[in-house]
Amino acid sequence: MKVLLIEDDSTAAAFVKGVLSDAGHFVDVCGDGESGLKQAKGGDYDALVVDRMLPGLDGLRVVKGYRDSGGRAPALFLSALGEVDHRVEGLQAGGDDYLTKPYAPSELVARVEALGRRATGDIPTTKLIVGGLEMDLLARTVHRDGQKIDLQPREFRLLEFLMRHAGQVVTRTMLLEKVWDYHFDPQTNVIDVHVSRLRGKIDKDFDRPLLHTVRGAGYRLEA
Amino acid sequence: MKIGRLPALFRTTTFRLALLHASIFILFSASLLAYLYYETAGHMGRQAETELNAEFQELSAAYRGGIDRLNQAVTERSEARGKFFYLLLDGNGRKLSGDFDVLPAAAPEGQVVDVQFDYDARTFDGRPSRRTAEGRISRLSEGGVLMVAYDLGQLGEMNRRISEVVWKSAAVGFVLSLIGGLVISRSAAQRAEQLAKTTEGVMAGDLTRRAPVHGSGDEFDRLSEQLNAMLAKLERLVISSRSAGDSIAHDLRSPLTRLRNRLEAGLKETSTEGRLEALNNSIGDVDDLLETFNAVLRLSRVQAGSTGSFRRTNLKGMVDELAELYQPVCEEKLLAFKCQSKEDLYVMADTHLIAQAMSNLLDNAVKYTPPGGSIRMTARHGASGDVEIEIADTGQGIPPQDRERVIERFVRLEQSRSEPGSGLGLSLVSAVAEAHSGKLVLGDGDGASASPGLSAKIVLPAA
Repeated sequence: MKVLLIEDDSTAAAFVKGVLSDAGHFVDVCGDGESGLKQAKGGDYDALVVDRMLPGLDGLRVVKGYRDSGGRAPALFLSALGEVDHRVEGLQAGGDDYLTKPYAPSELVARVEALGRRATGDIPTTKLIVGGLEMDLLARTVHRDGQKIDLQPREFRLLEFLMRHAGQVVTRTMLLEKVWDYHFDPQTNVIDVHVSRLRGKIDKDFDRPLLHTVRGAGYRLEA
Repeated sequence: MKIGRLPALFRTTTFRLALLHASIFILFSASLLAYLYYETAGHMGRQAETELNAEFQELSAAYRGGIDRLNQAVTERSEARGKFFYLLLDGNGRKLSGDFDVLPAAAPEGQVVDVQFDYDARTFDGRPSRRTAEGRISRLSEGGVLMVAYDLGQLGEMNRRISEVVWKSAAVGFVLSLIGGLVISRSAAQRAEQLAKTTEGVMAGDLTRRAPVHGSGDEFDRLSEQLNAMLAKLERLVISSRSAGDSIAHDLRSPLTRLRNRLEAGLKETSTEGRLEALNNSIGDVDDLLETFNAVLRLSRVQAGSTGSFRRTNLKGMVDELAELYQPVCEEKLLAFKCQSKEDLYVMADTHLIAQAMSNLLDNAVKYTPPGGSIRMTARHGASGDVEIEIADTGQGIPPQDRERVIERFVRLEQSRSEPGSGLGLSLVSAVAEAHSGKLVLGDGDGASASPGLSAKIVLPAA
């Protein structure tokens, strides 16, 4: 993916660039809002990573300006302001995701990759397929190798999210935010237990596991 | 000198109130006294006037029969020694009949004149006395003058007395009302002064100062109570931020020291594997530190009240959802989990904060309840109509004497030191409850008497 990073703190910028480059992405860096907006409009980026607090033109206005000029690349805000209100402001300004500092590098990579996937996967689908696993979004049924799998509503949504991001690492926080809509981290491993139950249903009776645990990061559904 | 710079006394509210009080009092008394005067002295004057008019009319009727007829009437009346005095003069100014020898006042140039005059009379025991009379003098059409007068004696005396009483009472009333006003407003000013003294003391740094409450329930008492409540909250915040500062220093020092030692040991490691492990552990330490920092920030934000929007929310859905989230992890730990929520529970709430508070309590229950135990989540309207969300377990519980303390920041009981956590969980729950005008109540849980477990109840006002 080709990513534009707009971040004024050079140390943080170097860190983010390093993390994303290591994950195999190309990263351009801009140090302030004005040049960042210009660069975003001119370049053909797959995703923008924007610090909310920027000198001059702040992050919200950069993304808003970019959207107003017809820019469609998804944007991820990085911010030390993590309240729900701030999050809502960010999304209203045209952002697609919001990551509060401090964050784990794996979280950043997972979220940026999830954004890139969303941009290309805009076509409405009625069927998700990963390996032998098939999800019918209209009938709300799941089959693996032709065998029907019964899922609870929440398990269905969990699996849907994983299938939509098949091949990508999905973090626990992402699951909590996107599947449960909670913006805090429980101290207990509630998410792990839900994922392991789901794994029990989709992987248990089959030779090849689809749902993998990525150590220190989260989960990945992959054929 | 500017007009605004009046002497100190005149600028006080006390003085202004007293003045206002006096003015109002004077206005009232003046109207009262005016009424009194009108109804007494005024009435008597008017009555005398009416009688005088009647007398004149009768005499005019007699005069229509000629001057002699009038003379006769005057003589008769004069001799009857009634209320009135008479004097009838002919065209040349000679007396025809009556009580006086000469006109006591100048004859009118026009037709009729009302006069007041003094005359000499004798009292019953024969002493001379000077008296005042009031009357009317009228020229007759064929020459001659008729005067009818009445002694003011009693009437004048009464009049004078009434006027005197009225003026004296006005003077006394003015002084009394001024004094009254001063007394009343002084007491108000004193209460205000006490409040001012309290705030001065607080500003000087004594946060334990409180305004006196007299128990009368008046405005000043209410003001004092509000002020005291505000001061109590302020004091609590100051103390908690002070102790938070100490606790942060204390609580962060040990993990930072541990981190430093680990990094130093990592430097000495010769094997790549050992170094990697040191690095990984260090990252874990830093993550813990960051988590603590985040928790402190979150708590401060909630306590400062800078929370997002409050909306009318039904907590039933949230309770069910959280139950669904925690059910599996309880089963995993071999804990029986039960959720009882049947009614709609409307409150004014920031849903994210409430969800976080409940999740903190559920986390605690899962962490501190040994396998085989049970966790119960009950959401319902309490006896007082408040919304209560209770999370009860069969873990080790919190001894009654520690329940106040664990709500404070960073307090962790000995038995929980080994568990991961920042010691801020219950503080946050309590702060969230308070931000919603509710409270956190800790009690015995569902366990047997040996280890009663913990019941944590979030009580919120229903909306």
